[in-house]
Amino acid sequence: MTATLRRRSRRPALLGNPALKPYLPYLVCIPTFLVIWQIFSGLLGSRLPGPFQVIIETWTPYISQPFYDDGGTSKGLGLQILISLKRVALGYSLAAVVGILVGGLLGMSRFLGKGLDPVIQVLRTVPPLAWLPISLTVFEQADSAAIFVIFITAIWPIIINTAVGINQIPEDYTNVSRVLKLSKRDYIVNILIPATVPYVFTGLRIAVGLAWLAIVAAEMLKADGGIGFFIWDAYNAGGDTSTSQIILAIIYVGMVGLGLDRFVAWIGRQVSPTGR
Amino acid sequence: MSTFLSIDHVHQVFDLPGGGQYIALKDVSLDIRPGEFISLIGHSGCGKSTLLNLLAGLAQPTSGGIILEGRQVTEPGPDRMVVFQNYSLLPWRTVRQNIALAVDAVMKQIPKAKRRAIIEDSIDLVGLRAAVDKFPHEISGGMKQRVAIARGLALRPKLLLLDEPFGALDALTRGNLQEQLMRICQESGVTAVMVTHDVDEALLLSDRVVMLTNGPAAEIGQILEVDFPRPRQRLAMMESPHYYDLRNELINFLQQQRRARRSRAKAPAAAPVVAQGTRTVSLGYLPGNDCAPLAIAQELGYFRDADLEVSLKRCYSWDEIEQDLRVGRLDGALMMATQPLALTLGLNGERPLPMTVPMTVSRNGGAIAFARRYLDQGIRSLTDLKAYQEASGQILRLGVPDTLSIPALLLRYWLASAGIDPSHDVELVAMSPYDLVDALAHGMLDGFAAGEMRVALAVQAGQAYVMATDLDIWPGHPEKVLGLPEDFVNANPATVADLSAALLRAGEFCDDPRNREAIIAILGRPEYLGEAAGAALQRYFDFGTGEAPSQLLRFNQFHVDQANYPNPLEGTWLLTQLCRWGFTPLPKNRQELLARVYRRDLYEQAIAQVGFPPLAPGRRGFRLFDRVEFNPDQPLDYLQSLAIKAPIQVAAVPLTPAA
Repeated sequence: MTATLRRRSRRPALLGNPALKPYLPYLVCIPTFLVIWQIFSGLLGSRLPGPFQVIIETWTPYISQPFYDDGGTSKGLGLQILISLKRVALGYSLAAVVGILVGGLLGMSRFLGKGLDPVIQVLRTVPPLAWLPISLTVFEQADSAAIFVIFITAIWPIIINTAVGINQIPEDYTNVSRVLKLSKRDYIVNILIPATVPYVFTGLRIAVGLAWLAIVAAEMLKADGGIGFFIWDAYNAGGDTSTSQIILAIIYVGMVGLGLDRFVAWIGRQVSPTGR
Repeated sequence: MSTFLSIDHVHQVFDLPGGGQYIALKDVSLDIRPGEFISLIGHSGCGKSTLLNLLAGLAQPTSGGIILEGRQVTEPGPDRMVVFQNYSLLPWRTVRQNIALAVDAVMKQIPKAKRRAIIEDSIDLVGLRAAVDKFPHEISGGMKQRVAIARGLALRPKLLLLDEPFGALDALTRGNLQEQLMRICQESGVTAVMVTHDVDEALLLSDRVVMLTNGPAAEIGQILEVDFPRPRQRLAMMESPHYYDLRNELINFLQQQRRARRSRAKAPAAAPVVAQGTRTVSLGYLPGNDCAPLAIAQELGYFRDADLEVSLKRCYSWDEIEQDLRVGRLDGALMMATQPLALTLGLNGERPLPMTVPMTVSRNGGAIAFARRYLDQGIRSLTDLKAYQEASGQILRLGVPDTLSIPALLLRYWLASAGIDPSHDVELVAMSPYDLVDALAHGMLDGFAAGEMRVALAVQAGQAYVMATDLDIWPGHPEKVLGLPEDFVNANPATVADLSAALLRAGEFCDDPRNREAIIAILGRPEYLGEAAGAALQRYFDFGTGEAPSQLLRFNQFHVDQANYPNPLEGTWLLTQLCRWGFTPLPKNRQELLARVYRRDLYEQAIAQVGFPPLAPGRRGFRLFDRVEFNPDQPLDYLQSLAIKAPIQVAAVPLTPAA
């Protein structure tokens, strides 16, 4: 008893606290990262503000008032993000609905699946921004064009994963349905959908990341409002605190992207059938 | 025996991605009775699961069919429930929901309340009440398998198909589940077919164990009847010595298959010898009317058509042929059907010489003749002979062409069936067939068994009369086969196939009555039978009893009725007779021996070359004239059932390792 006490007392109080132990890696690595950032900032002078400088320079109004609205495009970062999210929500939902349907069709029909595979393989590698010009030409409006870019970027992984999910249904399950002579409806409801859901959500998770990637880029090129617009606007303004604003926006973009990814994964877990 | 499920000449061939074909199952036929439990056993890759899938209707056979209660199986259906190897439970459904899915989908016409009752009953049947709301990943492998069995039985299938149901379970669970399955099957009276690796499992559960040979081209190697009464107790069964007989039989089969696989793997891949120009083969024969196909193939140029230069060597005795084969003076011979087995086993006291039979050349054609003086005493039948032998106490001296010849074995069988012990009550004298007629004429023999030509010559000379022909003893028995040393066959497989193909064509020619005159003309040449040909090939067979000569249908059979098939089941019978008279122990590894001697692959190749239909006789047992059933799967039981015999021994016989 005394021995354990003595041994414990030799350790520093903070790091020895068992409640903190799981967070230890963060407590060590993140400050280190910030220190390195600060060092680079010192080397580059005013061209790259350090972490503290970013916070100080953007505190008012960007951090303290996320939802201010001065009319026009002068809005708080929270509102800018909401604008972007709205676009993503539209384009992504559309991609999810169309993607699952098309993927389902391709998965169930060997003919279509094989025939359309080359088209999908080519189109899925096209970078999001390459779609923008054609999208602008067709929709003639920045907002719709951005939504379309989200849609066309996000749809491929959903199609592919849904189709793969259906193709990968274990032969055991299809044999069960063949032996039981399940009706088409029973088969889809009881076997096809439950067996495919995990694959669909893998696709949806990849897609939401791509969608967020695409929206920032699309807004930087052609939009009024949105977080991408904010970044480009701040760069064009070229003020003393512009770089700090950009860095803050980047951090926000990253955190929202992470949040979206986790959100879709969480829904996936809620919806996925048990026993995987 | 009422047939419930019939597997009828099923072949299953898969196309390979490279363009070739893989023959998974070859000519599998099996009839299953209602309520029977059948196990399929064999090494992996032998097509057990393929066969099960065919029964389930999950796949269709390439040819042949599966008939369930008179209707062909063309698609899967709930009347044939499958218990899959990996349970195949839906992971997103609880135990009850998994069973309910099946019951609700299949028994739509039944009211809901009744379906609930069925579901709950089947859960209780397998004792899963406690786990009813658990998901598959929450329960053990044994429980999962019970769910799968409950799901299968809930639908009241006609046929339950189990694919290695307990393979993935620990021994204790497996034992419990086996007993449960046995009880359930017995209570429900369901017919079941189970694939398994486990010898004890197969014995405990099955009424019959079907053993499959190695793939590719797997077929039924043997069927073992497990005749323990039901209900069975595992421990009581295992205490019975009979259980170990059966178990040994199974294990033996599996070991032989394993050795066969190894030797096949070691065998040189398709000899690189490409047929170029003319190949020479020397074949030996003994003159007799069954050498007709050999003479025809030679004289009508069937051999030359296949670029074969065949030199025929007329021999004086079977012994001479064997010596010539040993020293390589002959590449092969038209030999007695027993000879390849005897040579491979080394029964004549010499070093074993592994022999190969690519085809049977002739069937029937022999007879048993007695000296005329016995006719004068009124001995016209076997019964008369028995009465005479008992009354006189005379030890008859009977000649045979060779101790191990077909005529000798048939004569022994014929005598024994009347209660005359051929080892004690008569004296069998082996001599060259050339000398038989003279020996009879000089009173050195009281009778002999030999080919038709010798008998006809003796009858013609007024010395003998015919007491029985082969048709009276075993119609359609194999008489002469093409026999070649295994080494020669392995080195020249294409030559052997060509040789067989030419003989197949000649056999067809010989069996056509229109060619009779041509055959007599050819056989009449001095190098074959000479003047004896007329007697040998007489249209009417003179029994020498004073009655008008009668016409015997198919007395020599060279082609019809799949006469040329090298049938290992007939080989099994020959082995039982060699064993019966003490020439050899019954080989434990007889499957291995027969598979090496009877090369059906070469026969099929030859058949394909000639373009004859690739038909093969079924693997049924047969009966000789005394109607004693011969079941080739139970040779030992057959031997035990015979009254007159030497002490029966069973032993593994040494076989030279395949080259």
